[in-house]
Amino acid sequence: MIYQATHFEDVPVAEPDEIARLRRHDSAALAGVVGQYQHRLYRYLRRLVREPAAADDLFQQTWLNVVRQLDRYDSRRGFDTWLFSIAHNAAMDVLRRKTGESLEESAHELAAAEPDALAAAMASERTAILASEMAALSAPYREVLTLRFEEGMKLEEIAEVTRAPLSTVKSRVGRALETLREKMTARYRKEDLL
Amino acid sequence: MTTHETIRQLLPLSAAGLLDAADERRVRQHVHECAACSAALDELAAVSADLSRLPAPMAPPDLLARTEASVAAELAAQAGLRHGAMLAVGAGLFAWVAALTTWCLYRYLTGSAGWLAWLALTTVPAYMAAGAAAVMFASRRRLERSIL
Repeated sequence: MIYQATHFEDVPVAEPDEIARLRRHDSAALAGVVGQYQHRLYRYLRRLVREPAAADDLFQQTWLNVVRQLDRYDSRRGFDTWLFSIAHNAAMDVLRRKTGESLEESAHELAAAEPDALAAAMASERTAILASEMAALSAPYREVLTLRFEEGMKLEEIAEVTRAPLSTVKSRVGRALETLREKMTARYRKEDLL
Repeated sequence: MTTHETIRQLLPLSAAGLLDAADERRVRQHVHECAACSAALDELAAVSADLSRLPAPMAPPDLLARTEASVAAELAAQAGLRHGAMLAVGAGLFAWVAALTTWCLYRYLTGSAGWLAWLALTTVPAYMAAGAAAVMFASRRRLERSIL
């Protein structure tokens, strides 16, 4: 079974007329777009910085930066990738300042976090285990995985958001997925869940 | 590098749906003949499918309202700055027109071209306009600081 991004068709995106209103600094249009993207953007930021408080701050900072940079937005570019690239830049600044968080591509940097209360209740669920293993990956790997599998972005879009060459994005996706496969396989063998 | 090793490296990208058609065909042909790669691809595909079903972290209920408030404040501050800039340009234009008018008026009334008197007369509206603009920007800065 090869992964298909077809289920992202229902993901809300800003329409061209909304973008036009945004460029005119229409506050109602901006409030609408903030609402439309709130879950997607918050999820991306949580995956990237992991801490709810930091994601909360970054969410607000991202939208303030959007307002400040609206005049520079080229409507020929996708709004999604532009928005997420602004969020990426803000998150990278936070991660650089944060101790103990590496921006290097290290798949084995952290031990997998123990599942939290909710995850513990779902211990038999593969997704709960996978979420904790994903959270243990370094930021560049977490980022490409969430952009690909939760946002349904193509390689070129991920490269635009992360400002990384296509070859780097391919390498990150490949290594991150391979690492997760190894960890999941090892964990399932160990826990005899297979 | 053997074909097997080359294809093995493409498996994660295949599972992620990120290969072009030609590479995807190569992977499928190889996987059809290689049990190890077939098993690895199945595992990678399962991980990919699970990644797209991860429980999404929920945003705090008041985050949207807080963000909308800060965005509205930013928009208001920007609108104020644009308004202030337009007023400053208007004040500058007014000073320029006033200077030209007084020059013409001075020449009409006195019939002389004394440049010192003209300079004294024209600097008055210019200084007035500059003062008004400075007061306007100072009040704008105070408003911005109160918002932040």
